[in-house]
Amino acid sequence: MTEVMANEGTTNVAGPPLYELRGVTRVYSKGNVVVNALRGIDLDLARGETIALEGPSGSGKTTLLQLLGALDIPTAGQIRFGGRSLENESDKVLTEIRSKEIGFVFQQFNLIPTLTADENVAIAMVPREPSREKRAARAQELLAQVGLEHRLGHLPSRLSGGEQQRVAIARALANAPEVVIADEPTGNLDSSNAKEFMALLHDLQERFGVTIIIATHDEEVASHAQRRLRLRDGSIISDTKN
Amino acid sequence: MGIIGVSQGLSDAQTKALSPLGSVGTDIIVTRTVAPTTSTATTTTTTPTNRFAGGAPGGGFFAGQGGTALNSSDAAALASANSSVITDLAKLGPAGTKFTHDFFVPGTLITFPSAAVSDVAKVKGVTSAVGALSLDALHETGTVPKITASVKTGGQTISTTVKPPTLTAAQQAAERSCIQAIVSKQIGTGTTGAGGTHPSGGTGGGGGFQFRAGSSSAFAKCLTPAQKAYQQDVVVPEQTVNEVLNPPTTNTQTSTYTVAGVNPSDPTAGLVTKAQLVKGTWLSTNPTTAKSQVLVTTAYASQKGLKVGQTLTINSVSYKIVGLVNPTLTGDVSDIYFSLSNLQSLSTNTSRINEILVSVANAKDVNTVAKAIKKELPGATVLTSASLADQVTGSLSNARKLANDLGGALALLILLAAFLIAGLLTLSNVSKRVREIGSLRAIGWSRGRVVRQIMAETLGIGVLGGVVGVGIGAAICLIIGAVGPGLTVTSTGLAVGASNVSGLLHQTTTASVASTIHLTAPIRFLTIVIAFAGALLGGLVAGAVGGWRAARLSPASALRDLG
Repeated sequence: MTEVMANEGTTNVAGPPLYELRGVTRVYSKGNVVVNALRGIDLDLARGETIALEGPSGSGKTTLLQLLGALDIPTAGQIRFGGRSLENESDKVLTEIRSKEIGFVFQQFNLIPTLTADENVAIAMVPREPSREKRAARAQELLAQVGLEHRLGHLPSRLSGGEQQRVAIARALANAPEVVIADEPTGNLDSSNAKEFMALLHDLQERFGVTIIIATHDEEVASHAQRRLRLRDGSIISDTKN
Repeated sequence: MGIIGVSQGLSDAQTKALSPLGSVGTDIIVTRTVAPTTSTATTTTTTPTNRFAGGAPGGGFFAGQGGTALNSSDAAALASANSSVITDLAKLGPAGTKFTHDFFVPGTLITFPSAAVSDVAKVKGVTSAVGALSLDALHETGTVPKITASVKTGGQTISTTVKPPTLTAAQQAAERSCIQAIVSKQIGTGTTGAGGTHPSGGTGGGGGFQFRAGSSSAFAKCLTPAQKAYQQDVVVPEQTVNEVLNPPTTNTQTSTYTVAGVNPSDPTAGLVTKAQLVKGTWLSTNPTTAKSQVLVTTAYASQKGLKVGQTLTINSVSYKIVGLVNPTLTGDVSDIYFSLSNLQSLSTNTSRINEILVSVANAKDVNTVAKAIKKELPGATVLTSASLADQVTGSLSNARKLANDLGGALALLILLAAFLIAGLLTLSNVSKRVREIGSLRAIGWSRGRVVRQIMAETLGIGVLGGVVGVGIGAAICLIIGAVGPGLTVTSTGLAVGASNVSGLLHQTTTASVASTIHLTAPIRFLTIVIAFAGALLGGLVAGAVGGWRAARLSPASALRDLG
């Protein structure tokens, strides 16, 4: 709560960009097949922004999210996150960065099916918070903030899609990250839940000042973003602000 | 665990059946048994080389017949030792007397002077030699029957003078006429004097006539057949008539049991040892006290409803049951154990034994010592655990061979299969959890933490599996113990327990011991530890495999799979 509260209310602070990408290229090789997923991306992303990544399947959205989420390193080029180069970092360092500064929301929610809602949130804090009680308390607090205080002990299978996604949001915010990366977060939600999700995300973004990067096909979702990046064939073909 | 239990059970059974000597602190057992009647041993007479050859009354022992056949004195001794069964009823009183009596016979196991023990003890490598006496007992109750009588008749020479029957007138006339004809003939030839004749013969005086030689036989022709017969000597043919004067009808009832004598002051070696005492106390080392004490096997006590403290009456003497024993010497388990001296006295085998139990200093020397004893006591049957084991057949032997041949491989195979299955299941599980593992990696879980998590889970499953497995294994072992099959074991080596009077009387001299050992699957602490450790090891192996697979998953590929 302390770190979350520290970030609360800090939105759109001017300063050096959170991300600086220069000539970022990602090539996948599988046998003789070579796929250029990203081709020389140059991009700066500011803190506190909500950015939508749009584009057809295979355009490179997920690859770009993986690089921004420190899940992967580029084949070529540079990525600076908070002034720190990621391209040459070890898995250990990248893991540390992810646990501390990046939250993830997945299209399939990716909750652990055998853990309850609060346990799913608390599990994200395991690498950073040794106290089980503190993890549980913060999980309950976060679930309350997403409106699920009455569903703490429920398994994911007993939650609706919208509720599961809200648990995923609470989990993404568990370590008070600098940025939340969402990959098609409304892909499995109906329009009503999608709207609720976006409203919640916007509210949390305003309250916690986190940077939100969303890969989406959904025009409605993209319209809520402050900045829209359109990709095609591994290149950014448009960069607009709402 | 079930396999280990069964294997352990077979091992226990084998130990019980195949290595009976070790259970009584003995390496070698020396006896003199009746050889199989089919023996083709030569009958070369060998001068006995030990001082017991020729033995005391009751036969020659270790008499150098190659150990396979009885010499005549042995055979006579054997018959003599067992003869009481046939003839002793007469000694119990006059016919009609009610009796209860116990007969003790060595069966097929010949007794020999107990001094042979010291000879065996002198053999190099022997640490101790203990004598023992093992006998069959017949408990008979009933009425003394009328016994067979022998009457010798005949052989006398009988001479008698019989007055001939009075002749009829016709016979007299014929006889007279016959004589006159003879006389006339003799007169005619000048051999008859004057004075007339008289049929009775004899010499006439004066001018009478005189029979010349040969005339008497001539006159004999004139006699009637009746007169001739009464003049012959009668010789009665000599013969001995054995006749049952009154058939020996009796209501005698017979039951059998076995007895043995042990040395109370040597409780660590003998047909039963103090270690096999289940209840009560050992025989007193005071000979006087021990004289009225017996030990009873648990099986016999159970069968007869006997308890420690009760008394047994044998031949009008009361013996107090001081302890219950559970001897394990297969084939030589007796029902009642007396002190040796007591049984020797009771069975009229004073200073005689029929077994020597030998301990050898070094287990490796057992065969060498056995050969030395055989040389020292020609004709002795020398049994070792190894020779017993060689002679054991039956399903136990087969099962144990199977366990020896396949048990280890089977257990290893099952273990490997269990590990393989556990590993594959864990791999499969990890593959199914790519999303979950990728998510954990994405939200900041390190590779090490994920691997530890996977291993902790599989270890937990291993612990759970171990607990459940031990429970199931224990249940299987209990079921096997409850309904497990009986394993037969047949040994032709240890003849003692097989000796029985009926067999002897029917000249069945092949000594074999057939017994059934109930298969159990004992649950040992070590077995549980092994089973549980196996489960944990399986969990660890599976966890290591799963962890290795999980560690290879990059968070990016997990997300890409998802996206």
